[in-house]
Amino acid sequence: MSTQQEDDTPDVDDAAPATPASGSPAALEALIEDHVLEREDHLNAPGFVIRADAVQDVLSTLKTEAGFDHLSCVTAEEHEDRFESIYHLRKYDDPTQEVSIIVPTSRDNPVSETAEPVFRTADWHEREAYDLVGVEYDDHPNLERILLPDTWQGHPLGLDYNQNKPQIVTFDEHKNPLEGHEQAADDSDTMFLNIGPHHPATHGVLHVETVLDGEQVADVNPDIGYLHRCEEQMAQKGTYRHQIMPYPDRWDYGPGGILNEWAYARTAEDLADIDVPEYAQILRTMGGELCRIACHMLALGTFCLDIYGDFTAIFMYAMRDREVVQNILEDLTGQRMMLNYLRLGGVVWDIPEPRAEFFESVRDFLDELPERLDEYSDLITSNEIFQARTVNTGVLDYETAKDYGVTGPVARGSGVDYDVRRDDPYGYYPELDWDVVTEDGGDNYSRLLVRMEEVEQSARIIEQCVDLLEGWPEDERDIQANVPRTLKPEAGTETYRTVEGAKGELGVYIRADGTEKPGRFKIRSPCFSNLSALKEMSTGEYIPDLVATLGSLDVILGEVDR
Amino acid sequence: MIGLLKSMATTMKHALSGDTFTVEYPEEAPEVSARFRGVHKFSQERCIWCRQCENVCPNDTIQIVTDNQRNGEQYNLHVGQCIYCRLCEEVCPVDAILLTENFEFTGDTKHDLVFNKEQLKNVPWYNDIDPVASREPDRGAWIGDGEGEVDYQ
Amino acid sequence: MATQTPLPDIISDLLGVGGFLGDAVSMLVAAALVGTIMLTMTAFAGPWAKRKITAAFTDRISVNRVGPWGLGTIVVDSVRLLSKELVIPEGVDRPAYDLAPIVLAGSALFAFAVIPMGNGIQLADPEVGLVFVFAIASIASLGLIMGGYASNNKYSLLGGLRAVAQNIAYEIPLVLTAASVVLFTGTLQLSEIVAIQQNTTLATIAGVRIPAWFAFVNPFAFVLFVVANLAEVGRNPFDTPEAPTEIVAGYQTEYSSAYFVLFYLGEFIHIFLGGAIIATLFLGGPGGPFLPGFVWFTIKIWAVYFFTQWCRSAIPRVRIDQLIGIGWKGLLVLSFANLVLTATALGVTGL
Repeated sequence: MSTQQEDDTPDVDDAAPATPASGSPAALEALIEDHVLEREDHLNAPGFVIRADAVQDVLSTLKTEAGFDHLSCVTAEEHEDRFESIYHLRKYDDPTQEVSIIVPTSRDNPVSETAEPVFRTADWHEREAYDLVGVEYDDHPNLERILLPDTWQGHPLGLDYNQNKPQIVTFDEHKNPLEGHEQAADDSDTMFLNIGPHHPATHGVLHVETVLDGEQVADVNPDIGYLHRCEEQMAQKGTYRHQIMPYPDRWDYGPGGILNEWAYARTAEDLADIDVPEYAQILRTMGGELCRIACHMLALGTFCLDIYGDFTAIFMYAMRDREVVQNILEDLTGQRMMLNYLRLGGVVWDIPEPRAEFFESVRDFLDELPERLDEYSDLITSNEIFQARTVNTGVLDYETAKDYGVTGPVARGSGVDYDVRRDDPYGYYPELDWDVVTEDGGDNYSRLLVRMEEVEQSARIIEQCVDLLEGWPEDERDIQANVPRTLKPEAGTETYRTVEGAKGELGVYIRADGTEKPGRFKIRSPCFSNLSALKEMSTGEYIPDLVATLGSLDVILGEVDR
Repeated sequence: MIGLLKSMATTMKHALSGDTFTVEYPEEAPEVSARFRGVHKFSQERCIWCRQCENVCPNDTIQIVTDNQRNGEQYNLHVGQCIYCRLCEEVCPVDAILLTENFEFTGDTKHDLVFNKEQLKNVPWYNDIDPVASREPDRGAWIGDGEGEVDYQ
Repeated sequence: MATQTPLPDIISDLLGVGGFLGDAVSMLVAAALVGTIMLTMTAFAGPWAKRKITAAFTDRISVNRVGPWGLGTIVVDSVRLLSKELVIPEGVDRPAYDLAPIVLAGSALFAFAVIPMGNGIQLADPEVGLVFVFAIASIASLGLIMGGYASNNKYSLLGGLRAVAQNIAYEIPLVLTAASVVLFTGTLQLSEIVAIQQNTTLATIAGVRIPAWFAFVNPFAFVLFVVANLAEVGRNPFDTPEAPTEIVAGYQTEYSSAYFVLFYLGEFIHIFLGGAIIATLFLGGPGGPFLPGFVWFTIKIWAVYFFTQWCRSAIPRVRIDQLIGIGWKGLLVLSFANLVLTATALGVTGL
């Protein structure tokens, strides 16, 4: 065990080639050289600037010939002289192999070719880019606003947008949600049904436009944006050192607090080249896994709520066990949901005194957990009716999952063996002994099993962390690195870093502009990509299965809409 | 069928045990951790009006008015707008602003939740616990000035 | 003990009135008495017992603010619900929309007229009592589809249609299983059915006489009936017509205030009616040792009520297609088998 744990090895272009030459930046460039205008490397990956009409060519070449099968994120941003769309590509097999495809377009005519035919996940990501920044995508199947109302004027993350002018979108001006769905009159076999934005099963404010054929779902289209809180822009208005950190807690309030904060911390520490003391990494790892357990308990409880109806015992039992986790988190961080525990270069607090008492409470929880999980399997997973409801419903197959950029327990439930904690190691995970859980079913039942088993794995991780923390020499308990009060990363440095949040790959892209605030801050939310696969999973199923599928995706709308 | 019966037995076991995990608030005041972040308490005697808290506040919750000699006149804090991140307490060099463990506050309108310095001074400790003591081990641990000159803004 | 004079006659004797008018008055008084008994039970069950039972299963405390054990919440809740605004959405089909709650609550209440509750509390004892109960109880599904269809809401419509599909699928097994009981008794008169169960001896163990309650005589039919009854009253695992997490609240989505109270009452009376039928057909009605018959009757229907709530906390809701499948392919076949086997057994043994 090294004393100074390397957190984020910035694998710049020439740090990468532990892999064969086929994966090296030069080889990649050779592959797509017809289209490359110039190199513009990011801290995390080699970057190639390409022509706006060659997006599909380049991406499909990279996908088929170089194996970059995961379009993690699409970032759009506006510069003084151009618009840019950045496609962050990586491999499901090895996410440390990354490449950024940068597509500049002119400010007068920001039109770029869509990547949707190559990666289905680009559909929603490009819509978001269009909505917030204003880049238009040629041949996109459905280039509409996604987060903001259809009547919104301007693109809020654009440079010439007036941030101070409030826009009130009246009901009359707003697009009639029923418009275009009146085919029900001609085609009397189908019925249009709005599920949400206020519906007992949407776990937040999600609007699912559903076309029903009897009780069966003929078409489904999630309409998001009701919980859009301009998180990206708020981060762009905050200083790196202090003001951004409280906000990630509010993305996934499952509570995935520490996991979300870690996504920002990892990116910013990469950007500013900050090393995190090993002791702080263990604290982070332990806190993060506690958050993951809390999130999975919530996911399990609400999923069962969807299946059982609202007087079920399992929801309450899951909540009760989550309560224990939250009490531990409160002792550690000071709050139950909005933890604000991480700081750049470490964490804010050591284990609370008396330490033994804290460790005991964690151990008590861990000791009781297997019993609780047994109870859950008695109550739900071994129940025949529950199996009848969940097995083979909401099926998401392996290829579709990858095409939609699905990550996290949902992907692992479809057999995609992908976990950022293991594949792109950070924190203290590589030093610990734990397993990535996968199931091959791809259905609601598999996703539930993955979550339940991940709770066990998280418990293993926490146990090892507690052992380490207990035995840690008293004079080496550094919880923070020496980080300047004002961070001003060099202008023009860009990086995209991900961590494994409770819902999947949670990524943050930051472009520094030389000030103490980020020039562009983009959040890659796992729920956003996972939710976009809903249509594939529930078309042709019954309404109850649609609801159950939505529950098993475990979307937190705060993270989807940001 | 066996699974069904097992489910029913499990819930019955809970019903018969009679344990409850909900608490009867407000009869039973919940125990909060020593690190809990509640309503702020402000001490004018300690404050040196350096305005660091106002500066660091992520959503402009703190408003400070000083005269032209930089003597403090007003210290207003909107406890309803605050996100309880505790950054103000972290940056305060003299412990003039502290977050108590008190989470109970009410107001008829949102304007009632703007506390001035007198109101902030009168915020009670929760269960008479002074959080400073329990936070003591780590005060100062957060602060890092990096290499080179200290930039207080 | 069960064949007593019906309640109205007792009352008219007590009051010493006679003739047509006197009969009518005593009839009304008796009906009011029975109605009050049932509504009181519902009042306990709806806002209070349901919460307490669910809370016990889910490790919570539940209502305890008003009155001892939170019993005052019954009054508070009724005042609260009735004082709410009665919102009638635009475009509802008025007479049907208004009638639906009354039909639902009324039909369930009406069926209690022939149930022998012990201690002579029975309004009428027609020879076709059992048929009457089923006939009246199934009017409830009419109320559900009226409410669902008239509400001008897609969720209500789905709920109403589900309710009808479900009731048809489960009414048949229900009646068929009841018919297997009739094979034993040879009568449809409820008081007779109770009397036969109570007076026949199944076995005598250590000097304790075990009466031939049909739950003991034919446990298979009892289980079938209880399951079908769960579907009939729309409780987990068969609460698809309401299915709060799928179709909001089904047929009652658009109902508020007094109408909602009627729906709510109607549902609970329906559960109690199911309990009463089970008690009468399978558990010896008001029969039981030591305690008066009415107390035993109350205990039995509350036991059934408790069972529905227990299922609610522990069993997932089945999907609508699975529900129909279970009904037509499972319960119907099983109930026919039960009927035929019972008939054969009776024919062979010559009972």
